[in-house]
Amino acid sequence: MTDTDVNEDVLSAMLDRLIPAVDGLPPAGQMGLAPDVIRLAGHQKRFWGLFSGAMESFVLQNPSFVALDDDEQDEAIRSFEADSPVHFGVLLDIGYIVYYKEPAVHERIGWDGRPPQPDGNVMTPWDESVLENIRKRAPFWRAV
Amino acid sequence: MANNTGNEKASRGVVDILVVGAGASGAAVAAWLSEAGFSIVCLEQGYWQDPSKYASASPDYEFEMITNWSIDPNVRQRDEDYPINVSESPVTPVMFNGVGGSTILWSAHTPRFHPSDFRVKTLDGVADDWPLTYYELEEYYDLNDEVMGCSGIAGDPANPPRSPRQMPPLPIGSDGMKLVNAFEKLGWHWWPSDSYINTQRYGEGRDACNFCGHNHMGCYQRAKSSTDLTYWPRALRNSVELKTGARVRRITTDSSGRATGADYVDSKGGEQHQAARAVIMAANGIGTPRLLLNSATGSHPDGLANSSGLVGKNLMFHPFAMVTGVFAEKMNTWRGPLSNFAMSQEFYETDKSRGFVRGYTYQFQRSLGPAWVARGGFTDPVPWGKGHHAELEKRLGSMMGIAVIGEDLPEHHNTVDLDPELTDSDGIPAPRIRYRVSKNSRDQLDHAIENARKVFETAGAIDIFVDPMMRQSGWHLMGTARMGDDPARSVVDRWGQSHDVDNLFIVDGSVFVTSAAVNPTPTIQALALRTADYIVANRSDLKA
Repeated sequence: MTDTDVNEDVLSAMLDRLIPAVDGLPPAGQMGLAPDVIRLAGHQKRFWGLFSGAMESFVLQNPSFVALDDDEQDEAIRSFEADSPVHFGVLLDIGYIVYYKEPAVHERIGWDGRPPQPDGNVMTPWDESVLENIRKRAPFWRAV
Repeated sequence: MANNTGNEKASRGVVDILVVGAGASGAAVAAWLSEAGFSIVCLEQGYWQDPSKYASASPDYEFEMITNWSIDPNVRQRDEDYPINVSESPVTPVMFNGVGGSTILWSAHTPRFHPSDFRVKTLDGVADDWPLTYYELEEYYDLNDEVMGCSGIAGDPANPPRSPRQMPPLPIGSDGMKLVNAFEKLGWHWWPSDSYINTQRYGEGRDACNFCGHNHMGCYQRAKSSTDLTYWPRALRNSVELKTGARVRRITTDSSGRATGADYVDSKGGEQHQAARAVIMAANGIGTPRLLLNSATGSHPDGLANSSGLVGKNLMFHPFAMVTGVFAEKMNTWRGPLSNFAMSQEFYETDKSRGFVRGYTYQFQRSLGPAWVARGGFTDPVPWGKGHHAELEKRLGSMMGIAVIGEDLPEHHNTVDLDPELTDSDGIPAPRIRYRVSKNSRDQLDHAIENARKVFETAGAIDIFVDPMMRQSGWHLMGTARMGDDPARSVVDRWGQSHDVDNLFIVDGSVFVTSAAVNPTPTIQALALRTADYIVANRSDLKA
């Protein structure tokens, strides 16, 4: 399966149900994240195999998913989650990863959005006073 | 079975020492032997890593963490990784193949064994005693600390006195103090961890940690110690030749059964041979037995160095449980090393009233960013759909963990052998793991989980999650070619020298007799340095 074979409409509708609207942000599918999900999933051959297999399986089981109402879509996803937990986990992982890369999401949750490096964070100085109590304890290692 | 006696494809002259594997122990033994003037070649199936290209600086780091930079070689699937059949193990081995080995992705938590860990048969009537004592190894622990660079502080009442650490400890932080205060309320031990993470500049071109939190993805800052940054520069200055992309197919032997070098596949797929007067295995507790078993010949029909039948037996992992608490306060718990700022060894030593022997260490944990939290790092995934956002916000920056490392006792049925079908990309038979968690280990973990719950309740956690045994947690690969004085009951002697093949040595975690309840790398490296000293002092026959 190639990236053009992944049903983007189904993926987008699924993302809407997985990560719904909040505080003025649209649901994940309506944020236009489906193409990013497909692109990122292709960054490792193994993961792409799992992802495309999961999408293929979901679409086969739910050929009219986009036309279902919200409750029916949720039920379809819950069934897939129960029947195909590995495949479902792959879709959930990549959906969450792409959603939490979005600057608008970072702003809403108060996350600075930088990758961990190169800037990192500030290391506070070592404070030896934290040892005040534990230093009072007598050695208790087992001598041999 | 291959007849690997002799080889006509020698690509280089005979060297004194061939080291197989460039990780924690291979680097240490190569560097130390090179100081004494041995000529050395090291074969490493992986490659050098460029810290400036570690995925922690990529905007896609959360994806890379579960794919190309996974700790699990079966997930990572790089060309230099070999597959491992884990279908009969509840624990998945994790490792990295490259210069530096698993120190590239490790947490760098570096506690030492206790004196009692070397005497479990005498003290507790289980497993076997080691053929050496803590005190025989102590100077090598100190030496290794100096080379790797240890942050920490002496004075821990749970451990024997030790030398001053090279750097102050990693700070505990307000998040860590949540756990510390709870341990103190319960009257339980805690102490800042020894870590091979710089808290100030130390070593060659290595900065202080910048608290990025992602030391399991390689350290961009070079603050976390890995042997590509510590031992290898020293070894290379002493003219050790390190061949990367060199995957060993078998250790070769002569008609008398002595090691003559190794056949290997080079990075272009060419079949090569490296001749040597001695071979040192440093390929970890899975890779080493795999290669010894792959080196079977007419004179070593069950695998090289395996007259005892113990190559690949007694695999120990440290089954690993995780208890995580969610607090009402936002503490930015993604700041700072994920895994190793403090520990507790309150329940380290045997107390038979608990219903099990030996004990466990608690390792204090932080958490990471939003996608990791959402996917359920150390917890259940954050539910999808309605309620997702509220739950994510509750957990993000508010989770702390307590990891449990219990002492895993050796059991004959826990094994590494050769899979009858699976091979790596060069057609070399791949390892198969068969492992069961013992009742003693399970009882340890259950005891530890209940006590960790008490910690979180005392600390005021609003939610507690328990993972009774993490699957992707087999960092510590031990016991599969154990040491001992009796050739019938061990693979190598107290110096790491094979009982069967006097010019074959093993210096990785395979030689462990027991596992203790701590991360093993400082002990592995101390043993490697001790083996190097033994060779220097006693095996001048191996030097041209």
